[in-house]
Amino acid sequence: MNAILQKLSGGTATLISAIAWVLIYLLARWLLDNGQLSEGMRIIVALMPIVPFAIFLGLMLAGIRQMDELHRKVHLEALAIAFPLAMLLLMLLGLLELVIPLSPEDWSYRHVWQFLPLLYFLGLAFTWRRYQ
Amino acid sequence: MKNRLKVLRAEHDWSQADLADKLNVSRQTVNAIETEKYDPSLPLAFKIADLFEKRIEEIFSPEK
Repeated sequence: MNAILQKLSGGTATLISAIAWVLIYLLARWLLDNGQLSEGMRIIVALMPIVPFAIFLGLMLAGIRQMDELHRKVHLEALAIAFPLAMLLLMLLGLLELVIPLSPEDWSYRHVWQFLPLLYFLGLAFTWRRYQ
Repeated sequence: MKNRLKVLRAEHDWSQADLADKLNVSRQTVNAIETEKYDPSLPLAFKIADLFEKRIEEIFSPEK
């Protein structure tokens, strides 16, 4: 698996997997909203975007492994910033939920997870500034 | 950690990109080492020393 990912890694393959994920996600959403599907099929369709996204993450990791030591350090430090920020965000939402009913239309898992890459990129930007 | 990388690179008339190619790292990494914002790992420090045919302590010195 590693060898395959290493061969495929690189900007193009990562971009293709990201585009595939977006397209499959949109298709899955359309099928769930418009298709006449059984409960079992709905679960399968809802989980379809997981496959290209897992490939995308695998390619990202393979890409990071091929980076030089400074770039790997920057990604590690970005993670060290993003992870506690993500904990903070989840704790904040959890505590708020005790007193304010948070609508799942706005604050479901599929909404909250979008903050995680955002925090990671924030960590990357912050870390890169230190080494430039 | 202080280093003489920029001086040594200039003596060889290499650009940061040239040195990065020889060390198999990115130009940003060479720049971060030269500006002393990043201390290289021991393997990379040895590689730099080998490239310039010097001992590590002739290139890198502790900050005092």
